[in-house]
Amino acid sequence: MSNLETFSYDNRIVRKFAYMTAVWGIVGMLVGLLAALQLVWPAFNLGFAETTFGRIRPLHTNAAIFAFVGNGIFTGVYYSLQRLLKTRMYSDTLSNIHFWGWQAIILAAALTLPLGITSAKEYAELEWPIDLGIAAVWVVFGINMFGTILKRREQHMYVAIWFFIATWVTVTVLHIGNNLELPVSMWKSYGVFAGVQDALVQWWYGHNAVAFFLTTPYLGLMYYFIPKAANRPVYSYRLSIIHFWALIFIYIWAGPHHLLYTSLPDWAQSLGMVFSLMLIAPSWGGMLNGLLTLRGAWDRVRNDPVLKFMVVAVTAYGMATLEGPLMSIKSVNAISHYTDWTIGHVHIGTLGWNGMLTFGMLYWLFPKLYNTKLYSTKLANAHFWIGTLGILFYAIPLYWAGWTQSLMWKEFLPEGILKYGNFLETVTQILPMYKLRALGGGIYVLGVFVMCYNLIKTARAGNFVANEEVQAPARAVAFTGGHKGEYWHRWIERRPVQLLVGATIAILIGGLVEIFPMVTIEENVPKIESVTPYTALELEGRDLYIKEGCLGCHSQMVRPFRSETERYGEYSKSGEFIYDRPFLWGSKRTGPDLHRLGGKYPDSWHFNHMYDPTSTSPGSIMPPYPWMIERDIDYGLTEAKLKTLKALGTPYSDEYIDKAIEDAQAQAATIAASLNRDGIEMEGLENKEIVALIAYLQRLGTDIKPKAQAEATE
Amino acid sequence: MSITVENRPEEKRVPPTAEQTTCDHCGEVCEQELVAFRDKHFCCVGCKTVYEILSDNQLETFYQLEEKPGQQLRGRAMEDYAWLEEEEAITKLVDYRDEQVLKVTLHLPQIHCTSCVWLLEHLYRLDEGVMRSQVNFLAREAYIQIDPRKLSLRQLVEMLARIGYSPRLQLDKLNEEKAAPIDRTFSYQLGVAGFAFGNIMLLSFPEYLGLQETTFQRWFGYLNIFLSIPVVVFSARSYWQSAWHSIKQYQLNIDVPISLGVGVLFLRSVFEIISHSGAGYLDSLAGLVFFLLVGRWFQQRTYNHLSFERNYKSYFPIAVLREERDRSWKSVTLDELQVGDVVRVQHNGLLPADGILVSGDARLDYSFVTGEADPIRKDLGEQVFAGGRQTGGKIDVCLTKTVSQSYLTQLWNDEAFSKDYSTGSSQMLTRVGKYFTPTVLLIACSTIAYWWPIDHRIALQAFTAVLIIACPCALALSVPFTLGNALRLLGKHGVYFKNTAVLEAMYGIDTVVFDKTGTLTERSDKLGLGYDFPLTAQQQRAIKSLTAQSEHPISQRLHAEWPTIETVEPTDFVEVVGKGISANVEGQMVYIGSPAFFQETVLAPGTWAKIDDTLIGPFQVQHTYRKGVGEMLNNWSRHYDLFLLSGDNDAARSELKRYFPADQLHFGQSPHDKLAFVKNLQGEGRKVLMIGDGLNDAGALQQSEVGMVVTEDVNNFTPACDIILSSRQFADLQQVSRYGKATIKVVYLAFVLAFIYNVIGLSFAVQGLLSPLIAAILMPLSSITIAVVGVLGSSWLFRRFLEG
Amino acid sequence: MNVIFFLILLSLLVAVGFLAAFFWAVRSGQYDDEYTPSVRMLFDDQVTKDNNQL
Repeated sequence: MSNLETFSYDNRIVRKFAYMTAVWGIVGMLVGLLAALQLVWPAFNLGFAETTFGRIRPLHTNAAIFAFVGNGIFTGVYYSLQRLLKTRMYSDTLSNIHFWGWQAIILAAALTLPLGITSAKEYAELEWPIDLGIAAVWVVFGINMFGTILKRREQHMYVAIWFFIATWVTVTVLHIGNNLELPVSMWKSYGVFAGVQDALVQWWYGHNAVAFFLTTPYLGLMYYFIPKAANRPVYSYRLSIIHFWALIFIYIWAGPHHLLYTSLPDWAQSLGMVFSLMLIAPSWGGMLNGLLTLRGAWDRVRNDPVLKFMVVAVTAYGMATLEGPLMSIKSVNAISHYTDWTIGHVHIGTLGWNGMLTFGMLYWLFPKLYNTKLYSTKLANAHFWIGTLGILFYAIPLYWAGWTQSLMWKEFLPEGILKYGNFLETVTQILPMYKLRALGGGIYVLGVFVMCYNLIKTARAGNFVANEEVQAPARAVAFTGGHKGEYWHRWIERRPVQLLVGATIAILIGGLVEIFPMVTIEENVPKIESVTPYTALELEGRDLYIKEGCLGCHSQMVRPFRSETERYGEYSKSGEFIYDRPFLWGSKRTGPDLHRLGGKYPDSWHFNHMYDPTSTSPGSIMPPYPWMIERDIDYGLTEAKLKTLKALGTPYSDEYIDKAIEDAQAQAATIAASLNRDGIEMEGLENKEIVALIAYLQRLGTDIKPKAQAEATE
Repeated sequence: MSITVENRPEEKRVPPTAEQTTCDHCGEVCEQELVAFRDKHFCCVGCKTVYEILSDNQLETFYQLEEKPGQQLRGRAMEDYAWLEEEEAITKLVDYRDEQVLKVTLHLPQIHCTSCVWLLEHLYRLDEGVMRSQVNFLAREAYIQIDPRKLSLRQLVEMLARIGYSPRLQLDKLNEEKAAPIDRTFSYQLGVAGFAFGNIMLLSFPEYLGLQETTFQRWFGYLNIFLSIPVVVFSARSYWQSAWHSIKQYQLNIDVPISLGVGVLFLRSVFEIISHSGAGYLDSLAGLVFFLLVGRWFQQRTYNHLSFERNYKSYFPIAVLREERDRSWKSVTLDELQVGDVVRVQHNGLLPADGILVSGDARLDYSFVTGEADPIRKDLGEQVFAGGRQTGGKIDVCLTKTVSQSYLTQLWNDEAFSKDYSTGSSQMLTRVGKYFTPTVLLIACSTIAYWWPIDHRIALQAFTAVLIIACPCALALSVPFTLGNALRLLGKHGVYFKNTAVLEAMYGIDTVVFDKTGTLTERSDKLGLGYDFPLTAQQQRAIKSLTAQSEHPISQRLHAEWPTIETVEPTDFVEVVGKGISANVEGQMVYIGSPAFFQETVLAPGTWAKIDDTLIGPFQVQHTYRKGVGEMLNNWSRHYDLFLLSGDNDAARSELKRYFPADQLHFGQSPHDKLAFVKNLQGEGRKVLMIGDGLNDAGALQQSEVGMVVTEDVNNFTPACDIILSSRQFADLQQVSRYGKATIKVVYLAFVLAFIYNVIGLSFAVQGLLSPLIAAILMPLSSITIAVVGVLGSSWLFRRFLEG
Repeated sequence: MNVIFFLILLSLLVAVGFLAAFFWAVRSGQYDDEYTPSVRMLFDDQVTKDNNQL
């Protein structure tokens, strides 16, 4: 019998992921569009809490990253992995568990986030039960992938596979690292890290989520689909290998640049900055390798929409990876941070790099899956131009808005007072840009609809090849010419999986070993005597602040610039956040910073402002929160919350926990009283959520008195 | 097996048409006729057969991946691979074998395109005895795994030959000791260094940025030590070894200060960290080693498909037909041949050893072996020498010498071949090191001497600082980056240097020795034909038709002269050995031959034709000189002392006088003469560049400072040398040498820059002011400048000299 | 800022893991041929009908 083996590739799983990529793409983008519209016309929240900006922003980011891009990754991985390794996936069952599990998680996210169930960590908002689900599904994916690698018939592992492996390992570590939390209830938990530490971990994660979820896997896809689509080998395979290892050894460090000028130690910030800059080299190496693959084939690019999409994608990658490091330079970051520049930057990445590459991949994939030709190249080209136009209309206005607003924030009059003392002026100034951005987003989504039509038509025209039959010789013994010592080969054969699984386990154990001391260790963040834990009511208010996603538009971090201390007050000290679980520094100032809000306005101002922002701030684009005035505070979890926080190191005395609720109600009563004094009468006012929120807002940044500030600063 | 193909009726011969003049398999242009088969056309039955084999086995993809990717098979005789049945021949050739599996690595010079890779990796479709096959394109190698129960090694090789990929199986294949497992230590060292560099730098940042929290400093410090140990003991190992080696020989090469620097860096850093007196310089240490290794990696230019070390064994075939006791002919490997054996050499076959001609008409072409242009006739009983290529019918030779003891092969017993070869280590650096190292040590000592009375601590610090900063990292990088890059560019251009040391050696050359045949002139199969009289089409047809019958090189040359002419089948063809040929073409008698062939009294030397009593001639067959030889020699005669050593007779003396001083032209030189001649030149203190092509130059090539071989096809046999020059680039030769010299100047420039950096550093060091930050900045900065200068410089010069 | 220990060690462990992977790759000859794989991945595999394996 010949050792030629006949087997088949599983296209069903590829098709499933491909379809969901398109579906979630549309969903995620539509949510994004809704959010964009609300930034101009708050009324677009349709009057529901569940559809208000603060709650759907995380929904949008999660849908775009984990649903759209995620499914895109899996589509490409499941297609290319089988072919590169000349074998069917390790287990169809695992493939399907992976698929349905992932969709379930996305669904869970889509349900919980609008309900305000969130851990308030950007790109990691999902609560602990879902986090566990993600871990489980991810492990299933891992087993399936490494199993496939193990039973491969092709000895050499093409560079794309290395990028996939890197994705899996690092995402595993990051996910666990950033989601170490102690549950309070089914849908509430507090992270083990507080304040500055929490921030550092979060952005170490946040950056690497971008690095290893939006970048490395897509580089893998680039290295597979561009050569395939162009039918020519990658420009330099050697360069691609160097690209991979260089990226791997540097990328992981670039996180802290998200926290420049925050209360993070200087050296950690500069570190992030330097490594981000060092990243330009490998990133551009990869981009050039991708583009040069098409050298001498530009005529083909002109005619083939697939290649067009990929060229734009790779170019966008190049732009984003140049811009990113630039923005991590302290002086640039001083301008860009908290503005729409950042938003523009990330959308160049997602719409340009991830989006366009995904589209190119799908246009190439569907005819293959359905064994036919693309229904309409014209439409594909149309989509290409629509998409590109959309990106331009989206990005350019946001860059403009970002720069404009940042400059307005920093502009002083000769007398030494802020030119735009009223934050609102800087917002209304850029509203036209927000309108254009919404338009751009709309155009981009339109393109995706065109694509879906084209793909469906293609699918109709052809007939689906569920199991693609192929033949390849068995890989009985490792085969690299044999003349390099048979024994070593047999021995080493089983290695890749063991190595990586082993490495991961080691990492996890290592991680856990450190966490326990971490949690208990006495902090060496400069202690400030006057900083005390939140009262029960303030804590509830804070959790409402989180629930409504206020941090989506309001930062709580006054940076040490004159322009900011003038506007907001004393700059933030790391010592002030030691009881913040999670930290709420935020990453964007659509509204003003709130860290020194406490005591700035009377309680009644807050009440009216929350009821109808325009009543206190005419022209404000903040949505009204009438439901906070209708809903009663839920003290059901208060005691549990305090207990959990105590376990995590917040010094609540048992006596206090026992009488926490009375204390809360007492504090609520006083606030209600002050509201009454200002003529706000209402049945059961002291039980309303608004009161808790006011309690929290009035507490913000009031801990440090000038004296305390003095000693903390030196 | 599905590849035994009987002649099919579908096959027929057709004249080329307007739209179809090339072969669908190999793309060869065919003037005469095409073999039409199915819907395709081929230049010869060979190509057609391959197409048939492939299409019958559903391997048409071969033709879809690339345009007409096939190997030309016209005029390629199927070798006899019977010897591959021999047990010990097999054992010597294979990588691994047991009952179920046999693994062999075959060198297939014909691999040239994507289609080749595809086809050779789908061999299992041709025969199920092939378990799997994997191609290494750059090395032109195929690793093949077969099931010996279904397919023998011989069958495999024959299958490959049949589809146009005849493996390169020369005598050396047999004597090759099994390739040891590839040494990958270097990759590991580089990986470790890179990893440590990245992480140590990270952990050193708090230091640069003046972090106050001591807990970190200590913790990071220890971590750094931990990370740097593998760098010192593993990654930097080769430098330690080299330094130690040179010290043992009482000389100080450049690796001494390097190792010294590394060692001091490490010890001082460890001391500082453990004593909490500082953060140490471990980042600089890791960076230093990393950059040095990157430089070395950059320098390694290996042309997988070329060999610079070949001897006669890779020229001779691996096997020959030998007459057995029972008068039968058996194919045996050369190393089995004994004195007294009778061997049979077919047309185009190589005579493996010296002997006496016992039967057949020997017409041996020695052009590659001795440089003699024209084939030599031998009569029965005459002595024939190894290396001749038989043209014409088969001959039998009774051996009087074994292969290794033959006249030609004795050349390799000369000590020129036993003397160990340039290790590729840089002479320039060694020279610089001679002065650099002692100077550094001197400065270091005087520093400590100056400070000691003042302050012991500073004294020690300054002392170590000097050794650290003087560590000639940048210096050591200048050569690899500049010359390494130059080598890569030249390689792309068809000029392959063995290593960077050769480029350096080129710089000192003052004498150039040329071989004639095959070097200054085209290979002997590209003879020119000289005649200054008109010929009627009818005469041309007559001559072409007659010469079609003979394999004599002159006949073949005449035959090729008029490609467009139709030939006819002559009758009663007669060949008078050594004189000429005659036959009846279209009813008229045609004679072609040397003057002696004709009754006519005196005829000018050359080849004459006689058609119906009209004498035509003489046709002068001469060697044509390569394009650009004239200008090159003229130009070089101004810079170098030029010699010519030809194995050929002095027919060409007159025209070569134009370029060479009369007394520096030497003809009728034996391989041994050439070797001796070069030796003498060197005796006069000359630095010799030998440019040759054949085995007869092997000795001289080996002996000379730089040996350069000109070859039509880099995959063909080339004797051991330092530079392989593709003949297409021959005209560029002078530019290449100019470029080589220019790059050396770039290296010197880099040296200067490196020194400047060292001086700056030292000025800090001697004052005991070297902070880790300065070291950490200066070191990579200098290295990177040097690397950039080297690469850009050599690239720019390349554009200027060889692309402009 | 103890958390930095945590992050650095974690990242270091990842890096070490990949260093090990790098070693495996080199050792098992993954990078012996730095060109052909890029060509090989372009080939679309197809099935031969066995009819002609006479």
